[in-house]
Amino acid sequence: MGAVGAMQRLRRATVSSREGTTGTPPKSQRTWTSLSLFLLLALLSVGAVRDADPAATEPSQSDVEAVYLFDFGKFVRWPDNAASGPMEICVAGPQTFAAGVQSLVANERVNGRALAVRRVQRIEDEAGCSILFIDSSEKDRAAALLAAVADKPTLTVSDLPDFLDHGGMIQFLLISKRVRFAVNLQPVIKSNLSLSSELLKVAVSVKGQPEGGVQ
Amino acid sequence: MKLFAGSRTISGRLTRMNLLVSGTVLLLAALAFFSYDLISFRESLVSSLASAAQIIGENSVSALTFDDPISAEATLEGLRRSPDVVSAELVTEDGQVFAEYHAPGEEYVASGRRLRDDEMEHDWITGRRLLLGRRVMFQGKSVGVVYITATLSEIGQRARHYLLITVVILLFCMVAALLISSASQRLVAQPIVLLAATARSVSREKDYSVRAGPPGGSAEMADLTGAFNDMLQQIELQDGALSRARDELEVRVHERTAELQAANRELEAFSYTVAHDLRGPLDSIGGIAFILAHAEQGSQEERRELLDRLQVSTHNMAALIDDLLNFSRASTVALKKDEVDLSVMAREIAEELRSPEPERDVEFQIAELPPVQADAGLMRIVMDNLLRNAWKYTSHHKKACIEIGAKLQNGRMVYFVRDDGAGFDPQLADQVFQPFHRLHSKSEFAGTGVGLATVQRILERHGGAIWAEGQMEKGATFYFTM
Repeated sequence: MGAVGAMQRLRRATVSSREGTTGTPPKSQRTWTSLSLFLLLALLSVGAVRDADPAATEPSQSDVEAVYLFDFGKFVRWPDNAASGPMEICVAGPQTFAAGVQSLVANERVNGRALAVRRVQRIEDEAGCSILFIDSSEKDRAAALLAAVADKPTLTVSDLPDFLDHGGMIQFLLISKRVRFAVNLQPVIKSNLSLSSELLKVAVSVKGQPEGGVQ
Repeated sequence: MKLFAGSRTISGRLTRMNLLVSGTVLLLAALAFFSYDLISFRESLVSSLASAAQIIGENSVSALTFDDPISAEATLEGLRRSPDVVSAELVTEDGQVFAEYHAPGEEYVASGRRLRDDEMEHDWITGRRLLLGRRVMFQGKSVGVVYITATLSEIGQRARHYLLITVVILLFCMVAALLISSASQRLVAQPIVLLAATARSVSREKDYSVRAGPPGGSAEMADLTGAFNDMLQQIELQDGALSRARDELEVRVHERTAELQAANRELEAFSYTVAHDLRGPLDSIGGIAFILAHAEQGSQEERRELLDRLQVSTHNMAALIDDLLNFSRASTVALKKDEVDLSVMAREIAEELRSPEPERDVEFQIAELPPVQADAGLMRIVMDNLLRNAWKYTSHHKKACIEIGAKLQNGRMVYFVRDDGAGFDPQLADQVFQPFHRLHSKSEFAGTGVGLATVQRILERHGGAIWAEGQMEKGATFYFTM
């Protein structure tokens, strides 16, 4: 419950932008007050010391994204040949983010599959990835990575702007200090993946829908 | 019900009973149905709310996962199709309200209740609301709880429907009870009314031969009618016996009156005879006295003879008066019972008889008699009369025998005094004991004719009897019992 509770709180939380580009400062001041009050209450009510890691006390956009990355796995169906063995979540980005995801998924299973997290440092490392996250810091390698996983059953996720336009599947957005996401179905269909309608329901936007609607 | 409260007739009471029974049954049945309906309504409401909660839960998983309350509220809006649902809320694992819904026109009311961590589903009834909470599960984990509040106003609606139906059926029952009671009037009350009419006519006309007709009703009515007819029969029998007894009594009164008249006549005859018999010696005394007074010159011899005759007459008169006194005493004197030895008494009397006439050759055979319980004075009169009679009626014979004895006959002791004297005509045996009846002329045998009547009366007073047997010139036997 403790880890789940932490994730729940992360999901609920408005987040601080890593770039600090969005949002208006005066509003954020008030939001911060209520956030810290909420966190204080949450800490008191749960009383668990291990929840007191920096990510929980001050959830950042990347913290929430780490949780969502893991959650996406629950709403995606991989083709049968890629649905066995541990589900690998690959991170092309900073080590801290990869470690954050690792700590979240440590003892979790999704659809009966164990989870594994590894960093993608070279392009070739993408092989066998179920989910590939491309951090905005990897902007230069993004196109190459996308090209490498094209047609492979790999869900591509990134917080890069224009990610979908470049053939990405899910792109994180920050709207009203909440982490949201948009979906491009075209590469999803090409990769033989299928996304749950539940997931599409909560997407900010869905593009590339085939004729006749979403399956 | 009040309609029949004062009813005193059977049909009225039957109607009331019918109504009471059917009304009670109906109310109980309605109550049972309503309770069943209430329970099943609640169950169906709970199950429909549970399935609604499950669908909402399943459709809210992504909203909960990716923090999208707007999507969740859109899902909750689907409850608009359930008219019973007042409000609903989606609560996250840490107890925060994530999304909420309230029916149009209803205010949102926070459920205020929370599932325990180990509960999957639970329902509460608060006032006129039913609250159901159901956990939303995803990937084997709870991601939140759906709470749905539904109004129970339909139960009130149903209660009103039940009440209405019950009242309608109750009215129907009233009509049915009235119809049934008019039918039962024929079946139950009619025989009773007929029976009552019969009873009234019997008591009015005193005609006990009437019988109640065969009852068309129940076995109890048949019993009642049967018992009534039995009673009538008994009354009829007793009435007949009573009137017969009255008739018999009348006959008996007539008989008694006749007997009394006869006795009266007898008494008159008796008085006449007494007067006549007393008159005889009195006339004689008067005549002799007159002669003595006027025949101054009569000889001494003649005077002596007249005086002797005077003496005889007074003696006769005194004897008659004594006998009459004895006769009277025999009837009236109080009995003083002692043990009496008749043999001793007989021997004393024999001696008394023998002493004035020693020349007579009479043999007395006196057996030893068993003692009797009797009045000694009266028994003396009995024995004296019987022995004196025997002595008197054997006086024409030179030699005579008088036997006194007793024998057992038909279980009782019969005493007898037997002589071989003048006897009597057996056809006149009954008259022997009538006062002043004499079977022989006075000149033949002296006597007043009262003795045997006195004897009979004394023996009757002792509970005994006397009878006589005899033949002319062959003696007589007097038997008596005590």
